[in-house]
Amino acid sequence: MTQTKHIEMRNVRKAFRFFTLEDLSLDLEPGQIMGLVGPNGAGKSTTIRLLTGLLAPDAGEVRVLGHVMPDNQAVAKRDIGFVSDEMRLFGHATLEWHMQFIASIYAGWDEQYARTLVKRFNLHAKQNVSGLSSGEHVKAVLLLALARRPRLLILDEPTSGLDPVARHELLSEFMDVLRDEDRSILFSSHNTVDVERISDRIAFIDRGRLIDSSDKEDFLERWRRIQLQLPAGAAMPELPHVVSRVQDGQFVTLTTNQYSPDLISFLGAGVREVQRMSLEEIFVANVMHHRELRGS
Amino acid sequence: MNMLTRKLIAKDFYLNRWLLVGTTVAGLVALLIAAEGEMRFKIGMITWLTAIVAFGVVLATFAIANERKERTLQFVLSLPLSHGDYVRIKVIGLMLCFLAPWAVLSAGAVALVAIMPNLPDGMLPIIVLLCGFMLANYAVVLCSALHTASEGLMTLVIIVTNMGITLFMFLILGLPELREQLMAPVPVWNSTFWTVLAVEFAALLVTMSLPYFVAARRRDFI
Amino acid sequence: MHSMYSGINISQTDARPMYLQIMEQIRARVAAGDWPSGKELPSIRALAAALSVSVITVKRAYLDLENDGVIVTRHGKGSFVADINGLAGELQEEKLDEHLTAVAALGQQLGLSEEELATRLRRAIRNVDKK
Repeated sequence: MTQTKHIEMRNVRKAFRFFTLEDLSLDLEPGQIMGLVGPNGAGKSTTIRLLTGLLAPDAGEVRVLGHVMPDNQAVAKRDIGFVSDEMRLFGHATLEWHMQFIASIYAGWDEQYARTLVKRFNLHAKQNVSGLSSGEHVKAVLLLALARRPRLLILDEPTSGLDPVARHELLSEFMDVLRDEDRSILFSSHNTVDVERISDRIAFIDRGRLIDSSDKEDFLERWRRIQLQLPAGAAMPELPHVVSRVQDGQFVTLTTNQYSPDLISFLGAGVREVQRMSLEEIFVANVMHHRELRGS
Repeated sequence: MNMLTRKLIAKDFYLNRWLLVGTTVAGLVALLIAAEGEMRFKIGMITWLTAIVAFGVVLATFAIANERKERTLQFVLSLPLSHGDYVRIKVIGLMLCFLAPWAVLSAGAVALVAIMPNLPDGMLPIIVLLCGFMLANYAVVLCSALHTASEGLMTLVIIVTNMGITLFMFLILGLPELREQLMAPVPVWNSTFWTVLAVEFAALLVTMSLPYFVAARRRDFI
Repeated sequence: MHSMYSGINISQTDARPMYLQIMEQIRARVAAGDWPSGKELPSIRALAAALSVSVITVKRAYLDLENDGVIVTRHGKGSFVADINGLAGELQEEKLDEHLTAVAALGQQLGLSEEELATRLRRAIRNVDKK
C-alpha cells in the first residue's frame, strides 16, 4: 500500500575521533523486520542514533518514513517507536504515570493493549520505575513504545538482559506488529538465534561498514560448510566463492557463501558432509572474511 | 507540540515538586527568623539567600546534567520533538520552576521589610537588587548547564557564581549611593539602583537567549 | 489467537531449516485429512505471527508448497489446500482459465493466429509430458 520505504540511508558517513561509520547504505521496506548484527563497536548504535535524529550525518542522506533526519525528526518521531537499552525512564515516577504521559502525547495509544502488555510482561503499573530491575525496565520502555502502535519500531538491543520467557513474549509481540503490512521493525541484537528466527532481512556491520545485507533465507541458502576428504596426495582444486579453507591432513573444511548443488557435484566423491550454517556461524565467517579482504 | 511542551514542563514541576516545596518552606522559615531583627535578621537573610541560590543550582544541574547522565535524555529525545524544541522547553520549564519559589520568597522578603517596623524600608532597594541578582545568577547556571556536558565545567560555574554572590554584596554595599540609603526610613530608588537593575536584566536576557541560538542549533546531541 | 496453530511447532535446534519444518507439518495435516481440500490456509502474516517466525520464511514455505501442488494461492484471496488427487479442482480450473486468457491476450499482442497459438500450446504440452 504505502510505497515509501520506511528507512533509506544513502552513503552515510559519520566520523568520530576513534571511529568512523563509512559509506553506509541501508533500506527497510514496510512490512519487514530487519536485524542489524555486528560485533561491539561495529557501529550499530551509531547507525541507530543517525536514524533517530540523535546524530547528524557528515555526508550522505538519512530518510526515515520519508522524512529527512535529523532535520524533520519532530514530525518523523510521531510515528517511530525508539527503544534503546541505554534509555531510562524517570526514576521518581510510576509506570502508570509514564503510561498516562505517553498516552497524552500520542494519538495512537491503545489503553487496552497497554494493560494487556503490563500483565503479559509481568509488570505492575503502580510500581516506581526506580524499583524495577534492568530487565523489567527494558520491558517497561518497550511497553510504552508498543502500546502506541507506531508504524516503525527502532530497537537497540531490545532483548538484552531478558530472561527466556520475557524474550519469548517480546518476540511474539514483535511478530504481532508485523500482522500489519504497513508497519516495520529494525532491531539490533547480539542474539543471533532470535535474529535468525524473526528477521526478514539481515544486515551485518563490522568496523563502521556494512559488510553484507540480504534476505534472511538468502543467507541461509547461500552459506554452507563442506567437509571433504581428499584422496591421498591429491591437491585441493581452486574454487571460487570459498570464504575459508581449513586443512587438517586429508580432511578439508570449506566454507562457501555461494552454495549450489553444482559445487557439490564438482567436488565429487570427496565430499563427506554438507552442513547448513546457523546465522551466528554465517556472521562470524562473514566478518572474518571481510576483515581478511580489508587486510586487517 | 503545545501539548507536548505543557506535558514536559509539567513533568519537570512534578519531578522536582519536593525541591520546590522544600525551598519555599525553608525560605519562609528563614524570613520569619529574620523578622526578629539584629543578629536573627542576618542569620535569617543568609539562610534565605542560601536556600534560593542552592535551589537554583540543584534544579539546573539535576534537571539537565542528571537527565543526561541518567539517560532519561534519550527517552525525552525519543519523543516527537527536535533538539531545538528540547532546549526551548527546558529553558521555559526550568525558568518557571525557579520563578515559583523565587517569586514567593522575593515577595516575602519585600513584605518582611515593608511590614516590620524594626526593619528600615531603606533596605528595600538592596533587597530588590538581591532578588534580581539571584534570578540572573540562576539564569547563568541554567544557560551553562544547557551548553556543557562537562561536570568539571559545571562545577566551576557553580563555584564562580557562588563566589559571585559575596562579590555582589561587597559591590552593592560598596556603592555609596546605595549604602547611604540603607538605614533610611523610606526606600530611595535612585539612578544607581536602576542601573544595577538594568545590568541584571541584561544579563538575564543574554543568558536566556543564548540557548536559543547556540544549544538549540546543535545537530549532534549525544 | 495464538492457540489456533499451536500444533505447528518450529524448532531452531532442529537441523532442518524452518521453512522445511513448516512445509512438512502442513503436508502432514493435508495428508491426514485434518486440512481438507479447499480449506483456507492462514494468511502468511497471520501464520508468521502465530509461530513467531519471519514472514519471509512462511512466504517461502507457501511458495514451495504451491510449486509442489499441495496448496493453491489465489492472488488477493488467500491460499487453499489443493485437491490431493491432482485433478482439476474448482480452484485449479479457475487458475487454468486465468492463464489461458493471459495466453490469448499475449498471442494477440504478438500477432499470432489461432492456429499458431494452438501449435505452441501443443508443443508446450509435449514438453511437460517429457518431464
